[in-house]
Amino acid sequence: MTALETKTASPVADVKLTAAKSLKLPTAVLAVDAHPEGKRLFAACLDGGIYEISADSGEHKLLGKHESYASGVHYLSKSDTVVSAGYDGSLRWFSPAEGRQSRAVKAHKFWSWKMRVSPDEHLVASVTGQFLAGGYKYEPAAEREPSVKVYDAETGALRWALPHVPPTLSVAFSPDSRFLAAGNMMGEVRVWSLETGKQVATWTTPDFTSWGIIKSHHYLGGIFDMAFSPDGREVCVCGMGPMVDPMAGNGRQTWQRFAWGDAPPRKVLEIKDAEAGTGLMESLRFHPNQKLFLMAGRLAQGKWNVGLFDTASGHLLHAQDTKMRVCDSVWLNGGSRLALGGATSQERATKDGRYPDFGHIKLYDVSGQGA
Amino acid sequence: MGVTDLRGVSGESLNMTDNTEPTESGVCTPPEHTLHRRLFLQGAMGAGATSLLSWNGLFSLPAIAEQAKKQQKHCILLWLCGAPSQFETWDPKPNSIYGGPFKSVPTKIPGVHFGELMPRCASIADKLAVVRSMKTKPNEHFQAINLLQRGAPPREPFIRPTLGSVLAQQLGHLDSPIPNFILLDPCPEGNEFKEFKAGNWAGWLGAQYGPVRAGGEYKLADVNRLVDTTTQDFEQREALRRFLTKKYQNDRASTAAASENAVFSRVKGLMSCAELFDMNKIKPKDRERYGPGNFGLHTLMARNLVENGAPFVMVSNGMPWDCHVFQHEIYQMLVPEVDRIIFNLINDLEERGLLDKTLVVMMGEFGRTPWLNTSRGRDHYPDAWSLAMAGAGIKRGVVVGATDKDGVDVIEKPFNEKNLFATIFTALGIDPYVEYDAPDIATSYRVEDHAQPIREILA
Repeated sequence: MTALETKTASPVADVKLTAAKSLKLPTAVLAVDAHPEGKRLFAACLDGGIYEISADSGEHKLLGKHESYASGVHYLSKSDTVVSAGYDGSLRWFSPAEGRQSRAVKAHKFWSWKMRVSPDEHLVASVTGQFLAGGYKYEPAAEREPSVKVYDAETGALRWALPHVPPTLSVAFSPDSRFLAAGNMMGEVRVWSLETGKQVATWTTPDFTSWGIIKSHHYLGGIFDMAFSPDGREVCVCGMGPMVDPMAGNGRQTWQRFAWGDAPPRKVLEIKDAEAGTGLMESLRFHPNQKLFLMAGRLAQGKWNVGLFDTASGHLLHAQDTKMRVCDSVWLNGGSRLALGGATSQERATKDGRYPDFGHIKLYDVSGQGA
Repeated sequence: MGVTDLRGVSGESLNMTDNTEPTESGVCTPPEHTLHRRLFLQGAMGAGATSLLSWNGLFSLPAIAEQAKKQQKHCILLWLCGAPSQFETWDPKPNSIYGGPFKSVPTKIPGVHFGELMPRCASIADKLAVVRSMKTKPNEHFQAINLLQRGAPPREPFIRPTLGSVLAQQLGHLDSPIPNFILLDPCPEGNEFKEFKAGNWAGWLGAQYGPVRAGGEYKLADVNRLVDTTTQDFEQREALRRFLTKKYQNDRASTAAASENAVFSRVKGLMSCAELFDMNKIKPKDRERYGPGNFGLHTLMARNLVENGAPFVMVSNGMPWDCHVFQHEIYQMLVPEVDRIIFNLINDLEERGLLDKTLVVMMGEFGRTPWLNTSRGRDHYPDAWSLAMAGAGIKRGVVVGATDKDGVDVIEKPFNEKNLFATIFTALGIDPYVEYDAPDIATSYRVEDHAQPIREILA
């Protein structure tokens, strides 16, 4: 079967995104989530703010603020609570109904790069780590605090403090909430059992990390987002391929999937060369129908910064250039809608002293995604 | 000797090859060395046998050496190429929409804050002078590097010497075995900086004031005397070589031979101070304080070179500060490194009694935009940027100039490259306004337009 035949044989071959609404926020959106009904969106923003946004009108209200960038947000449907993370190293809980912060936990001394909530909503995981020079070639120094922290979502109590090599940039729960995976700048992935706290798998992929040759002799890049496959057997990671100049931001848009339970873990699938442009990919989400997954980020060169891929074959099914950097994404309404959170460039203040909005949440209708 | 890759004379790479085959024992004994070589050695051994790994080795009379040592001024330029952001270093704006994710920390100077990644510099702010109001014109790297290295815009076809070349001429000694202008640059690449490095550093001052380049892949190769060659043998051969080349130069009026003689002289000097360029000779405790990254270790090398008499050492490391993307991600590593390096360098120079006669300049070629681009990086920004200085001729614990609340523009005391060069020259006791006495150049001054130094930071 040819690649084209494989692609067209996919049950979601006709999937398509159609722009439905574009909402503006004063400042960049670094993370986005939604109420299951899709009417209420939640955003973690560059000004530290955690906002609740009406998906219909775009009106937004501030639930509370971190002391630096807010980098993660999740709506806990069982308790009607929003939990967030930020570059101030804290996790914060908010009650949207009461419009106030209900709890704050200092999770890290450095930033929370990424926060995720377990599918059963019992646990909150956050990853951290400052990149500090650890060697002549600027290999990252060993961690100074646990790079991975797992908290009880209901009480805020610490459940696990797990080691990794900083900076640890991404984290994901398995669909059954029993395992946690985290990836770092050097492309190392570790998987732990959340029942025992023991590390059960680790591997390193060299395909997401740059060592600067042209301008700077140091490392950069890494795994910026990850997700377990719907059956839990694979971990899919995303980011950007190696560059000779890490500051160019033009590494290949890249995802790879690993059978993490194999000994040793092995790569089973990756993005096809011909389907990738360049640019940092920061968001990876499997569709609720499990038949496709999304990778999104920033476009450097190429045609798209949001791609929908066939889970079975890995082929790109549909792609778009959203004209903004996508930092996070969430499926709404069972997968019939997609929300992308991100930003365009900051601009100079206008003559009357107003700072132009540069945060965006773009909503897309999803068609052809199957039952 | 095999091939000596001696970088730097007028920006050129001079590959010197001696095709003489070594003998079985590895001792280089070409036949001409047996010809009356002792005739050439009269008077040569006295200086040649002196240990040159100390200041006193530069001078035959200890009293003169001591006097010269007291008067010698030095300069270390920490060249933060690529252009560091003022927001994350010397001029934080934590309450601005453009401030970025890092906060600020109070310094030893009441009311003055540095970026939170610079706590060590904050703790020695009373030894530093910070200029927060640099305002220059070029917005692209090459032009800006050229400007900030030479102190004035180009005026074709004349090539103005770089700061290092001027200081090499003014502070250096032509017969010094330690090069008067050393460029330590462990990253051989650097985009526009690479292009600049390949150019003419010394300009109308002449090749002898160009840099000797070392660091990283640029080893001072083959500058160690063969282990089984005695000092006497070496001097004999060198005297013979000098005699024959000089004879050739005189007979044929050969400028090439003259250049070769100059290069040999420089290599001979390097042979005597090669240990100062040897990373393996660095003490582990020093390595720990400055390292582990290569920029820190080469700054430590600069400290050692200055301590041993080098007038001017420039330390760079490619163009790591040009963070159009991943700005925060890179700065979380780069800024703490430079913070630690500056802290240790200033304190070490002070402890060694060298700070008052060593000017340390910490700067790039411009600053970074207040506003973040789509990649959350900062782009080029010459309109309002910062630099810092410390040491010789510089007031301690002072911040001059100011930018507005968002760091968009200078609101107090703008200074440009000419003011900066006038400041550096004045601090080092060099007349900034002398007219260059070089053949076939347009009327040119060390600092053009009689630009004033930044008096607020002069001691």
